[in-house]
Amino acid sequence: MPSRPSGSFLDQHTSRMFTDRQPRAFLDPTVLARLAAVPLVARRPMVGTVSGRHASPHRGSSVEFAEYRKYVPGDDLRRLDWRAFGRSDRHYVKEYEADTNLRLCLVLDTSGSMNFGSGAVTKIDCARRIAGALGYLASQQGDAVGISCVADGIVRTLPPRRSPAHLRLVFDVLDEARPAGPTRLPEVLHELAETTRQRAVVVIISDLFCPPADLAGAFSHLRFRRHDVAVFHLLDPQELAFTFTRPTRFLDMEGGAAIFADPVDIADRYHRAVEKYLDDLRRIVLESAVDYHRMLTDEPYEQVLARFLVGRAVARGLR
Amino acid sequence: MTFLQPWVLAALPLVALPLIIHLINQRRFQTVQWAAMMFLISARALSRGYSRLRHWLIMALRMLAVAAVILAVGRPLSRGWLALAGGGRPDSAVVILDRSPSMQALDAAGGGSKLDTGRRQTVESLTTLRPGRCLLVAAATRGPEEVADPAAIVELPSAGPSAASADIPAMLQSAYDFLRENAAGTSEIWIVSDQRASDWRPEDGAWGNLRDAFAKLPQQVRFQLLAYPAAAAGNVAVRVGSARLEQRGRDRSLVVTVSVTRADDPSRVTLPLKFEIGGVTTSVDLELTGREAVLKNHVIPLGSAAPPRGFGRVSIPADADPADNEFFFVYDEPAPRRALVVADDSSARRVLELVAGIAPEKDVPATVDTVTAGGLATAAWDEAAVLLWQAPLPTGRDAELVEAFVARGGQVVFFPPESPGDAAFAGVSWGSWTTHPKPVAPESWRTDQDLLANTLSGGALPLGELEIRRSCGLKGEHVALASLPGGAAFIARAAGAGGVCFCTTTPSARDSSLASEGIVLYALVQRAVDRGRAVLGAARQLDAGPGAAELAASAASWSRLAGPEAAPSTEAGLHAGVFAAGERLFAVNRPATEDVSAIVADDRIDALFRGLSFSRTTGRAGDGESIVQEIWRAFLIAMLLAIIGEGLLSMPRRREAEQASRGFPSVEAAA
Repeated sequence: MPSRPSGSFLDQHTSRMFTDRQPRAFLDPTVLARLAAVPLVARRPMVGTVSGRHASPHRGSSVEFAEYRKYVPGDDLRRLDWRAFGRSDRHYVKEYEADTNLRLCLVLDTSGSMNFGSGAVTKIDCARRIAGALGYLASQQGDAVGISCVADGIVRTLPPRRSPAHLRLVFDVLDEARPAGPTRLPEVLHELAETTRQRAVVVIISDLFCPPADLAGAFSHLRFRRHDVAVFHLLDPQELAFTFTRPTRFLDMEGGAAIFADPVDIADRYHRAVEKYLDDLRRIVLESAVDYHRMLTDEPYEQVLARFLVGRAVARGLR
Repeated sequence: MTFLQPWVLAALPLVALPLIIHLINQRRFQTVQWAAMMFLISARALSRGYSRLRHWLIMALRMLAVAAVILAVGRPLSRGWLALAGGGRPDSAVVILDRSPSMQALDAAGGGSKLDTGRRQTVESLTTLRPGRCLLVAAATRGPEEVADPAAIVELPSAGPSAASADIPAMLQSAYDFLRENAAGTSEIWIVSDQRASDWRPEDGAWGNLRDAFAKLPQQVRFQLLAYPAAAAGNVAVRVGSARLEQRGRDRSLVVTVSVTRADDPSRVTLPLKFEIGGVTTSVDLELTGREAVLKNHVIPLGSAAPPRGFGRVSIPADADPADNEFFFVYDEPAPRRALVVADDSSARRVLELVAGIAPEKDVPATVDTVTAGGLATAAWDEAAVLLWQAPLPTGRDAELVEAFVARGGQVVFFPPESPGDAAFAGVSWGSWTTHPKPVAPESWRTDQDLLANTLSGGALPLGELEIRRSCGLKGEHVALASLPGGAAFIARAAGAGGVCFCTTTPSARDSSLASEGIVLYALVQRAVDRGRAVLGAARQLDAGPGAAELAASAASWSRLAGPEAAPSTEAGLHAGVFAAGERLFAVNRPATEDVSAIVADDRIDALFRGLSFSRTTGRAGDGESIVQEIWRAFLIAMLLAIIGEGLLSMPRRREAEQASRGFPSVEAAA
């Protein structure tokens, strides 16, 4: 564990992260400290239970003016705009936007393929870091955080809660996540779309090794349920470059049949298949308005998360 | 294709090296855990056509490169369009050179004669092949002549032009004898020829024996024919048919019959014939409209002081073949026309005496000596031109006398006796008599040459008007000059004995109408007399060839009076010219067959070499290209091209390279 720099802000945060003195390998305090400068915001109005920093579909008592509305009997007379009455001799009620919290649902792919890593870092390692950082940032700003580990079904799930104790449970789930089994991500996403009743920011962290057409349906389903969907697409550099030179027997990490191939013979067609897959995926995420971020496992996850957070903040408009 | 170092070809299995390496690599596979199986599955499902084709193309190019290197090290030789199958450097090479007059035909562009071109191309080829021994067969009369360096063939006087026809079967026999006696190893026989029938003699029975003999040789013998069959365009040949001295009062004149012939039949031309006699040149124009024109009985006055014996030359302007543009002739006072008649049948004897005793020339008396069988020893053999024999075939001492007569050039015509007997002469004996129920006439006869040829005016002898009532069969090898219906010979010449003829009926009225229709018998006998008389005079016309060479060798002195000076003395009788041997004069010229000989078809020549390793390269006079060339450079170029092609195919395509270096396009901006 690298030594942490001292400072009031950092100490405050690290004390929350390690309240039980349990080290979290997937959390880097320095990265979290830098990312904390940009808030995690939803791109769509959220329906929360408490006041927060996210837009709500309802009118409330924030300082953000929303609109004038004609006075109807029963309205609170304190909200009547007397100046408007003086100018127009009509009674108007001044309304403000409501602020609320969001529900962050982390969907972590724990199928066997997530255990692949041509270098020192596997895809599941990257997924843990991204999920942990997002969970921590959301919890820090008072939002509810939940997690679902999925493979050929929902392996384990925690519903969104706002408490710091719940965050520790989320971290425990991340620690204990072990990639195994095949992927049924589209079916699982459909199931989550149905079971997640309130609007949420659904962050899917996966290698998306499933037919893009199936994913399109799942994304649309989530959007239909008014969820804000974000995808972190994790890929290993070797999976793109395919730089094998010798004849190779490829064992399926998700338990499928092995394939014997001469890379010299098949590399060209492999690259074409990858290219077609990525093209299809790009078209699908554009059509589904999914916040898509591709990440290679040798890429610093801080940059990807910063891009993710800044992009949202700019789109939403900082307050 | 031939290789100078064929043992290198033993490395050809190395061609399979790329394939073996590929298979070994296939077995040395690694096993990895892999996540992106869906891409592998998609890749396998995609079309493999181009990829598989490229894979095998790369493999083929690698194998081709290895093969090209091995073949280049083997030093391959190109033999033009027709290449021999396999083989390397021969232990011995025998060059059979057709030096006949037709091989002296020139290239229209002035590139040299067929003989020059053939010699040069052969020398270049043999210099490249570097055989262990090199031999030259330049004439059928001599055995193979060993040459230290193939290049010497061009310079050898014995490899120069000749006036004699080339006897290819005899020359091959000579080569065979050498190969058999010297137990030479792998051998090549190079034949340089223009495929003239007069040189190849495809009907000769010796070909079958040669084929069998070469096939039975223990060593490998390959035959390479360098053929130049193209006829010389516009070529005209001149020939003297006869040159006889005539006494007109006190003056002497030479009466010459000259013919000019050509193979093709273009437009009408006027040829100036130039006669040179005793240093005096005269000229006369002869118009040639068809294939042949004859200047008949052209009289050249010699004057009263001219000697009765002399020689001359007739020539025409230079054309495509200089070898047939001149003809030498000699003349002398005519020899006596003496005939010997031996006949059992009195009526036949009387007829024979008549036809032999009536001279066709008024100045030359004809003499007939009737000889009984017991008086042969005292007959005037040295003065006789022809022997007419109607009796059982001679045996014993009589046979020896007749054989000696034939050997010195005398002509014999045998007629069947009443009792044929079993005796044979020149390999031919009489069969039994056949009486024809109805008189028959000869069905076919040779009109182009020999005793029954057409007359000078072109008319055929009236053999069809004869009535043959009785004929006697012939046994033994003979060549029919005239045949009766059913194929039986009417007049035949014994094979192997040129001066011996057989007539299968007698002039007796009981047997035939030879006497009553006397023209045929008269022409037959007088032509035989002329042939026999030709060797009696002090001036003789000879065809260049083995006969003339033998005569020259037997003569005490043989000196050239006219003709090309380049001819070596060892080849006397094979070159044209006028020669003196004591008191006698000899004019040696190319044989008549050289003027009219047809080309032997390629398939006919292929048939002559059936069962043997034979290939033909057809060239033309003046051809500057070499027949055999080392072509290892071509194989190295092929190897380079194969390597370049393999490299191009093995290089990743641009899109793949870009993707591998820069990664796949991102979608963050769009998203």
